[in-house]
Amino acid sequence: MPRLTVKNLWANKVRFALTTFGVTLAVSFIVSAFVLGDGLRASFEKVSEEIASGVDLEVRNVADLGDAPPLAIGTVPTVAAVEGVDKAVADIEAADNAVRPIKADGSTISTNGPPQLAFNWIEDDQLSAFRLVEGSPPRVGQFTIDVDSAAKHGFVIGHTYKVMTPKGTVELALSGTSSFGSENATLGAVLMQMNTAQAGELFAIDGVNAIKVKVASGADTAAVQARVRDAVRATAPTVEVVDNAAVLAETTSDFTQEIDIIGNILLGFGGVALFVSLFIIYNTFAIVIGQRTRELALLRTVGAGPAQIRRSVLGEALGVGVLASVIGIGTGVVMAQGLEALFGAMGAQPVAHPTILASRTVIAALVIGVGATMLAAVGPARRAATIPPVAALTGRSESVRLGSRARTASALALVGAGVLAGVGGLAGVGPAAVTVGGTAFGAIAVFLGVTLLSPLAVRGVTALFGWPLHRAAGVAGRLARNNAARNPRRTATTAAALMVGLALVSTALIVGESVKATIGTTYTQSVKADYFLTDNLREVRFPAALAAKIREAEHVTAATGLTYLEARVQGMAAGNAKKQVVGLDFAQVGALLDLGIESGGFDTRVANPVVVSTSEASAIGAKVGDVLTIELPNRSRIQTTVVGLFDNQTVVAQDYLLDNSVLDHAGVAQAPEWLAVSFADAAPPSAIDTLVAELARELPYAQVETAAQFGKRRQALVDNILTMVSIMVALAVIIALIGIANTLALSVFERTRELGLIRAVGMTRRQLRRMVRLEAALVATFGSTIGVGLGLVFGSGVVAALPASFASGISVPVSQIAVLMLVAGVAGVIAAWFPARRAGRLDVLEAIAM
Amino acid sequence: MATGRRGAKADRSEDRIGRNDQPPDGCTITPVPDDPEIEVPYRRSVPLISTEGSTMTLLLTARTPAPTLPKHTSAAASARGATKIYGRGDTEVVALDHVDVDFATGQLTAIMGPSGSGKSTLMHCMAGLDRLTAGSVTIGDLDISSASEKQLTILRRDRLGFVFQAFNLVPTLTAIENITLPMDLAGTRPDRAWVESVIDTVGLSHRLKHRPSELSGGQQQRVAVARALASRPQIIFADEPTGNLDSTAGAEILAFMRHAVRDLGQTIVMVTHDPVAASYADRVVFLTDGRIVDELTDPTPDAVLDQMRRLTN
Ligand SMILES: Nc1ncnc2c1ncn2[C@@H]1O[C@H](COP(=O)(O)OP(=O)(O)OP(=O)(O)O)[C@@H](O)[C@H]1O
Ligand SMILES: [Mg+2]
Repeated sequence: MPRLTVKNLWANKVRFALTTFGVTLAVSFIVSAFVLGDGLRASFEKVSEEIASGVDLEVRNVADLGDAPPLAIGTVPTVAAVEGVDKAVADIEAADNAVRPIKADGSTISTNGPPQLAFNWIEDDQLSAFRLVEGSPPRVGQFTIDVDSAAKHGFVIGHTYKVMTPKGTVELALSGTSSFGSENATLGAVLMQMNTAQAGELFAIDGVNAIKVKVASGADTAAVQARVRDAVRATAPTVEVVDNAAVLAETTSDFTQEIDIIGNILLGFGGVALFVSLFIIYNTFAIVIGQRTRELALLRTVGAGPAQIRRSVLGEALGVGVLASVIGIGTGVVMAQGLEALFGAMGAQPVAHPTILASRTVIAALVIGVGATMLAAVGPARRAATIPPVAALTGRSESVRLGSRARTASALALVGAGVLAGVGGLAGVGPAAVTVGGTAFGAIAVFLGVTLLSPLAVRGVTALFGWPLHRAAGVAGRLARNNAARNPRRTATTAAALMVGLALVSTALIVGESVKATIGTTYTQSVKADYFLTDNLREVRFPAALAAKIREAEHVTAATGLTYLEARVQGMAAGNAKKQVVGLDFAQVGALLDLGIESGGFDTRVANPVVVSTSEASAIGAKVGDVLTIELPNRSRIQTTVVGLFDNQTVVAQDYLLDNSVLDHAGVAQAPEWLAVSFADAAPPSAIDTLVAELARELPYAQVETAAQFGKRRQALVDNILTMVSIMVALAVIIALIGIANTLALSVFERTRELGLIRAVGMTRRQLRRMVRLEAALVATFGSTIGVGLGLVFGSGVVAALPASFASGISVPVSQIAVLMLVAGVAGVIAAWFPARRAGRLDVLEAIAM
Repeated sequence: MATGRRGAKADRSEDRIGRNDQPPDGCTITPVPDDPEIEVPYRRSVPLISTEGSTMTLLLTARTPAPTLPKHTSAAASARGATKIYGRGDTEVVALDHVDVDFATGQLTAIMGPSGSGKSTLMHCMAGLDRLTAGSVTIGDLDISSASEKQLTILRRDRLGFVFQAFNLVPTLTAIENITLPMDLAGTRPDRAWVESVIDTVGLSHRLKHRPSELSGGQQQRVAVARALASRPQIIFADEPTGNLDSTAGAEILAFMRHAVRDLGQTIVMVTHDPVAASYADRVVFLTDGRIVDELTDPTPDAVLDQMRRLTN
């Protein structure tokens, strides 16, 4: 039997090569995720080791809410004085993107993702993460920048540059260039260093973020750690002292978080590719075994047992799986290298590192690739084993059985379970893993169930779409339609891969369109402000006094900044939950945003007013007049009074809106993430230009946009996510098309005699090719119809599960989906190019003599 | 033949009825439609075709305008110096060896000869399914030796008809769709009255919506003959059309073919191994080792059998 298995593999090598493609692709993604992750992780471990190995202990604050507050500057000498401490230095870091350099030509730097960071210069090679490359360390009034950013953005030592800081723009001279670790592993970030004496002031940090400690040689680190803790506890009760191992782990995990995201995306691609491939493998085996019925039956008559037949088929699957996985491992390694080159081209320079093909990677690839192939072949193998010996005489009978009742019942059960899991997952019960897992399981179960059920729809759908084909293409169209419908199971399984792809893409399109529509309509409706002042980088904070300053400008009627803070809410049924709250100016907001006040209003006559969303209010049982205690990041607790309830969370998604007076009262600084500004109707355009010009001078990174532009930009974010999803789906669709090509090639082979006959009675090659192509178009259309149908259902489900502030109602991008279906049909025709050509080249005489 | 049992059974019962009334020479047709609603004048199993075959002619002439094919004895197809060599060197096989033959218009010609004598090869080459190594073939006034593949396809579609031993029908098309297939492929409208009369003649009116898998072997061959006749080709080539049928079903098919030739002016060339089948022909051509060695006109089964014995000895 083993010899037979090998012979069969060899005889069917082309079709199995096509089959392996999907598995190979899936394995490639999985392997590339591992190889890329392992390589980058190894190199970052190296970097972390290098930059943090000299730090024996780190002293820092921990905080329940928001960023940890800085330690008092006086803590540094306290730590330094502890017995066993060799050296203690201040570590001061600006918030992400809070401090940014401005190029000589006045333009700003755009990193496309990685942050711009500023640190104090630490005069100790072992404690500092930075090495001086050229020039000298920064003195007061000077700064250094990492050597790659200097080269890329044209910063020259000795020149003076403007630097944007939370306190406004300052001018600093560039004293030198630095390197982060020995290889400047910035991953595309811009890293600056300032003099320690000036850093706190420039970064608007009152104190130090952490103290890095070198323990005296011979001293017991653990004992010193305990002593340091005791020494600082007196003044700073929330302080923690961690050792080198913890610092190393944190540094590495800072880096690897991003790697993990990339890895997860690659694994996602691999998962989709694998799932789609299962259908194709299943189909190929099912068809090939159908064609070999007579041969297998003959084996049975000469004494082969069912188990031997089954093993022989599974043996073939094993061969295909191993081959596909091995190729996949090779291409995966290449893919990982290609991805790194791509990251390099995008500015996220990776550090040089060796390619690591861990044994875990190889094992995972083999288990997944071989396992999937064999799993898909189990059904066909079982069927092969049940072929009775008598079939050797009667020959192959094309199975046109639609499905037993058991099949339908299990299909319905799968769909039911899938819907339940999906709804449970989407309802968001439990942690993210449950949501993702539930939704993914739900989708897979629904896909499988629908695939089992879809043969029942083949006749109807092909009749529907085949009718115009017949009208347009005559007999070729009719034959194409008949061929597509002759074996509903085969057509359904062939189309299944495309169904999955199109279901995913139309779900994404529908969700995206719904979110965009919500942004477009509800969003612009609720905005009354003329302009928004935002920042093109994430998480940046504007100066606290900016809103007041803008209000002073001529023709400005209203302006407020919005400060986002972490807080705990107590009272009513709030249960001390951690919530993000927004600080804004109640007196101004009415003229800027229409937040859909349900009752009460932005009332500033009451002390410490808060406005709560209607959904949250009903959840905690609060109404106007109730008192809630809100704990802010600086641990101050404020008794606030609910003065209003608002309904429209499109612009501000948070549940609690505090007047800025509450922040002032609590001693929390305003740090607006964005500002809304309205001008008088009669304001001359020049007044606006003047203000914009002034802002641009002071805050080069600020972006002044109209409400419409602001909305558009948010819509563009949605488009970015859609692009990502589209790449994933494009993969699935490519595999699906290969599946269609494969099935058609097998069908053409199977129908050789029939095709010969049709050619003998006068079908031209052209008509024959057209017939095969149209069949492919029909199969593709069948898949895309069901896929889009499922996409509509999935999309509605996701939209319903999303908060109304994201998507208030479902909107279907009809034209895009129509184009998608058309593209799928055309792609089916392209997929059929090779089988059609093969059919056209068929030797009539040989075919009819078969 | 695993599928379509029902059709096969129904047909067999008809056959049995027919057999009872069978004249000794076995040339009887018994189309007894299952569907009583279809008005068919010859429902009773009366032997319709005697040597004169008059009943069927009446039926056809009543339904259709007079057959339009001219009846003259010029050659519908001819081969000159037709040579076909397969393989090279040691494996070289001369399947046809300078064959000169004419197939007269309005005649049923049978080709006979031992297995491997080149009968199928000759037919395939004459029908534009295969190309000669040397020599020429003319269909009507068209020399097909130099025709392109596409011209040959269109020739087959518009001017030739085919009946093979088995697997004559496209399994996804119904009987009627199979019958009109060449015309559908050409995009021309079938002559409905003619097609209907052909269908009536072969007794298929109640089976038109059936797929081949739902028809018996005999019925399938009848559909194939109907298809060959439906487009009124210049010449029909049939390679052992009755080879897979029992004698009764075979006799029916042969009777149709002879009727088509005698009464409708059709030209048919048929390969057969069966002396009885050959006796339906106007002329029998004998092939041995790729050469035409003899011929008989107006053959009887015995004469054919004699001739064959002589050839094999
Ligand atoms: N494709 C081919 N390649 C090589 N030789 C062939 C091929 N087709 C036919 N032959 C040879 O040509 C000769 C004639 O074959 P052909 O099929 O015409 O015989 P036939 O008279 O139809 O026989 P049968 O009665 O068995 O059908 C045979 O010797 C056969 O082996
Ligand atoms: Mg032959």
